[in-house]
Amino acid sequence: MSALLLKDLQRELQRHLLGESSAIESEIIDAPPLDVAARLGIYRNAYQVRLIEALREVYPVLHALLGDEVFYALGESFVAAHPSPFRSIRWYGGQIPEYLSLNSPFDEQPILSEVARLEWTLSEVFDSPDAKTLDRAALTALAPEDWEGLRLGFQPGLRLLSLRFNTAAVWQAMTREEEPPAPQSSEHPVPWIIWRQDFKNYFRSLDAPETALIGAARSGASFAELCEILGRWLPDEEVPLAAANYLNTWIGSGLITTLKY
Amino acid sequence: MSLTGFGLGLRTPHYEALLERPAGLDWLEVLSENYLVPGGKPLNYLDRIRECYPVVMHGVSLSIGSSDPVDYEYLAQLKALASRIEPHWVSDHLCWTGIEGKNLHDLLPLPYTEEALRTVVARVGEVQDYLGRQLLLENVSSYLNYRASDLSEWEFLSEVAARADCAILLDINNIYVSSVNHGFDALHYLKAIAPARVRQFHLAGHSDMDGYLIDTHDHPIAAPVWDLYAAAVAHFGDVPTMIERDDNIPELPVLLDELDQARAVAQAAKQRAA
Repeated sequence: MSALLLKDLQRELQRHLLGESSAIESEIIDAPPLDVAARLGIYRNAYQVRLIEALREVYPVLHALLGDEVFYALGESFVAAHPSPFRSIRWYGGQIPEYLSLNSPFDEQPILSEVARLEWTLSEVFDSPDAKTLDRAALTALAPEDWEGLRLGFQPGLRLLSLRFNTAAVWQAMTREEEPPAPQSSEHPVPWIIWRQDFKNYFRSLDAPETALIGAARSGASFAELCEILGRWLPDEEVPLAAANYLNTWIGSGLITTLKY
Repeated sequence: MSLTGFGLGLRTPHYEALLERPAGLDWLEVLSENYLVPGGKPLNYLDRIRECYPVVMHGVSLSIGSSDPVDYEYLAQLKALASRIEPHWVSDHLCWTGIEGKNLHDLLPLPYTEEALRTVVARVGEVQDYLGRQLLLENVSSYLNYRASDLSEWEFLSEVAARADCAILLDINNIYVSSVNHGFDALHYLKAIAPARVRQFHLAGHSDMDGYLIDTHDHPIAAPVWDLYAAAVAHFGDVPTMIERDDNIPELPVLLDELDQARAVAQAAKQRAA
């Protein structure tokens, strides 16, 4: 029998680790202190455990909600369905929210998928690109005529999430190791923003006007256009001050990186 | 300036303690993949810690023995990190981690054949050309051997280093772990490696599974590994040495004590050898 080539051996061992049918067993030397099955088993086990451990790190609250046993079972079935294409294990597991919403029994508790979506988003925000954000002094430097055409640049870590459940409250309680509230869905999905200020993540919900304003401002709307949008909710005379207040809040939260006018 | 002395692997729980520059720590080894991210807290700590210590970079997913083409996207990230933190050198493992675009996130053994040797040597050449620096390759712990192998691991490692003109990061614990799992003589392995190629030592703890060993990096260094380290110092001389701890990570002072133990073992071994 001629020896297999490197790529054939690699393909067979990889197939074994991925749980597919494989011809690797006959290619491994059978010698003490372990038989071939045990030798292969060490690698197969390490593969699963390492990826599940990576999931546990990104999804600590999901893990706490499900408990060790159920989380491990979720990990096993997810890992079987999702080999990693990533060089860094840190990026593994982004499809967990989708997986939870599509697979039984997790789909029966739709808040689980939302918790996972929140946790994955938090992890993305955590090591999002660094950007120098403005402080409020930047606003006082504006001349009155600068405001109309003012356009805002937002920090690259900013994410918008639309949540149907009291997911943030559950996340917060679990993170503080308190009893979480019972899952509760709202009539309409609630928009949330997640961002980081310096090196800490923050999130909060948005009301309808602020949602519309952030959406428009991120797409490049000018301050005058933001005022027009705000006019849907407020009488004309209150609009400029209210719009300026929003801007002031965003700057105070470290959301804004540039003012262009 | 060349790197000397005794180091530790940079781990998250020690960030703050390291910024206080405790005595007895000469340099740090940075796990490259942990910092291949766009920004944020870990990278910020890395920059600040870099101001306090010389560093080397150590990767886990170069997959130098893969039969896939070299991943230049990964290399570009590695190179960018290297120009950010200016490490004394960049290392990874003599292994493969996946093929056909998949990553198994493990350090998988290679068959020790002439064909595999040619693959690795060609790829080391590509990587060294791209990074513009000599690569260090580390021997891994392994739990299986292929029937196809017609060289020993130490012959294979020596041949890779000689033919590709790369350097060696010798992991003393990995030699010991593999010697138990495959029944070879760890001292014989050590003595087969050319001292001029060895640029760094790793020390670490393993788990004794009653008959075989697993390289878990979650225990203090075991007695037979200290003995092998003493033999390595006698054979290779002064080589920058560091301790890897990846799980069950104790407070920094505990690891600094263990590092002092390494200093003492090395000192005694040099005196005996003199």
